[in-house]
Amino acid sequence: MTSVAFTAHLSTATTNQKSNEFRRETLKTFVGLRKTTPVNHHSISLTKSLPNRQFNRSLRIVAGKSSPKVTGRNLRVAVIGGGPAGGAAAETLAKGGIETFLIERKLDNCKPCGGAIPLCMVGEFDLPLDIIDRRVTKMKMISPSNVAVDIGQTLKPHEYIGMVRREVLDAYLRDRAATAGATVINGLFLKMDMPEASNAPFVLHYTAYDGKTGGAGVRRTLEVDAVIGADGANSRVAKSIGAGDYDYAIAFQERIKISDEKMTYYENLAEMYVGDDVSPDFYGWVFPKCDHVAVGTGTVTHKGDIKKFQLATRNRAKDKIFGGKIIRVEAHPIPEHPRPRRLAGRVALVGDAAGYVTKCSGEGIYFAAKSGRMCAEAIVEGSEKGTRMIEEGDLRKYLEKWDKTYWPTYKVLDVLQKVFYRSNPAREAFVEMCADEYVQKMTFDSYLYKKVVPGNPLDDIKLAINTIGSLVRANALRREMDKITL
Amino acid sequence: MASIAIPASLKIACSSHHVIKKQQSQAKPGCCFGAKQATHVVTVDVEGKRMLNIAEQQENASVHNKGPKGVEGESEHVMDTGSSVPKLFHDARWKNGTWDLNMFVKDGKMDWDGVIVAEARRRKFLEMHPQVSTNQAPVLFRSSIIPWWAWIMRSHLPEAELLNGRAAMVGFFAAYLVDALTGLDMVGQTGNFICKTGLFMIVLGIILFRRTKDLGNLQKLVDEATFYDKQWQASWQNPDASNGTSEQSQKDYYADADKECQECEMGNMGFYGN
Repeated sequence: MTSVAFTAHLSTATTNQKSNEFRRETLKTFVGLRKTTPVNHHSISLTKSLPNRQFNRSLRIVAGKSSPKVTGRNLRVAVIGGGPAGGAAAETLAKGGIETFLIERKLDNCKPCGGAIPLCMVGEFDLPLDIIDRRVTKMKMISPSNVAVDIGQTLKPHEYIGMVRREVLDAYLRDRAATAGATVINGLFLKMDMPEASNAPFVLHYTAYDGKTGGAGVRRTLEVDAVIGADGANSRVAKSIGAGDYDYAIAFQERIKISDEKMTYYENLAEMYVGDDVSPDFYGWVFPKCDHVAVGTGTVTHKGDIKKFQLATRNRAKDKIFGGKIIRVEAHPIPEHPRPRRLAGRVALVGDAAGYVTKCSGEGIYFAAKSGRMCAEAIVEGSEKGTRMIEEGDLRKYLEKWDKTYWPTYKVLDVLQKVFYRSNPAREAFVEMCADEYVQKMTFDSYLYKKVVPGNPLDDIKLAINTIGSLVRANALRREMDKITL
Repeated sequence: MASIAIPASLKIACSSHHVIKKQQSQAKPGCCFGAKQATHVVTVDVEGKRMLNIAEQQENASVHNKGPKGVEGESEHVMDTGSSVPKLFHDARWKNGTWDLNMFVKDGKMDWDGVIVAEARRRKFLEMHPQVSTNQAPVLFRSSIIPWWAWIMRSHLPEAELLNGRAAMVGFFAAYLVDALTGLDMVGQTGNFICKTGLFMIVLGIILFRRTKDLGNLQKLVDEATFYDKQWQASWQNPDASNGTSEQSQKDYYADADKECQECEMGNMGFYGN
């Protein structure tokens, strides 16, 4: 059963592979893209070694210095989408002296979301503490055979995972961007016209609602010099630039209001259920929200069975959510990997539109906000605070910085997902491993601070041996299970 | 068909949820659902719960109907948990969330094989009939309690015997063939570098390819290990090469995505369509 899922997943992967024809060995230069600036002609070779990931690019970008000065006005940049990525990008742009337009279709949108933010986001983005509804300090991992492991004992008193309401967080970031000088437009982005000449502006077509709900809206256009696409997983900006597709998971979630005494159990505890019944390649969860819990699950390979998985998740948590009333049902796509093209010309994608969601945990809010900020910083720097026109090279700097900073995180989580979400024995081993204090410390440190810190080598070796031992035991039990017929 | 009826009924429930949501979000209470909206919440919730029960029964019925052509192993277990009292795992030796090791003593010695088999039975049962995870009856058993030599004697040794047997047979015939072809006898072969390399490859092959499906599995493992890297590096490749093909695959992708969305009836549940 799991091998079938595995095969199905890989067959889609191989067809994607064949149709996109990735060639890693020979990469052509980017000479053709740069028409106005002199550039060194070097062939780019990406090194394979993953631990120290350095892009050996001798391509020297001198774009910003020699591109024409923008006279009489500041550089105009439009940010499409007002979620965490859009809000963070707009704020950084506005603070950098750039004329910013933030286009958001629904200002009170309650985006369906897990809603978990790491501790570092509160510090890095100066979030006020009243935005956070709950601080999760304990987690329970439950294996297919109902072995339950508590993690979180290694957390220090000031460390927690923050649970937020998306409508509150998004509104706060947008308001902060507006205070910094960005123009927030309530409208739905329709399409954009590419520039005819090299320094001509983009023409964006959007339907302006101006705060009126249910109305037809007025079609308007806007001319800008650069665009940041922060409009989420079904990004229209990505479609406009032909960014390509990605595999995505469906996350299905039900918000359930349970009695107060049952709610005290989830006071600052979140649960994760793993198992083939709950999801073949992801996990089911019970996350506490402000006054109810969100029970959900997700999958990439078996999207049609999502309701069955949801029933199974509810069944496993039945005791703890018994008698609860479902108050809302929601679903959303989660990108599994970045789009093939994350930028084109003076258009860049950030957040979910670019596909910056980690594997294994499915975390996206922090990376969306951070990528928005990084892209905006690259624009501010490349345009020298709005005085010069920017080039694709300036946006490539953002991609470079992003890949260099967060590639290890993404890769480690990918490996974890491949090893531990593969089959029931692997999940049993995973839950067993989580009982280890060293594992808990490493996991939380890397999650809360977004740094993959190498620990004590002796402990690492012990951990490796324990992991292998767990996997071997679980697989041996699986072979025994295959021999038994109940 | 029953499976379409469920999403339809859930859609009605969901759209009414959405209406409620709009009113509440405009009110902007201190917490999600303010007191003055209580009446609305109550009526919708009751409906939601009824929908939930109906959905469960219909879901079971539809899964059972789909049994012949689709889900085979799953249909029985859903029927079991849905229709009557769910089957619980019972075993005389399973007490308080762990195996009572005193009951596994055979001839005065600890019977670890029995523990392994019992635990495998329990996991198999739970795989077929997933059970509620309760805090009152937590599972305390950890498989690490079984000593390492018990695993070796039960799982590793028989397979090791098999592999050694295969290696011996292949080795004997390989030695005979090489002797017949080149005239090198046993002592001569062990001194020859090519023969030693060949021997190493044979042993490696026997260890790696034990069943026919291992051939495909290993190839997939290699592909899988490098696929994520390729996806990330796609941004750094020549855009012209990927652009033409990506347009085509993009069209397919949106068509597939629409189809899947329709299949799981996600249209109303918060997807903003293109």
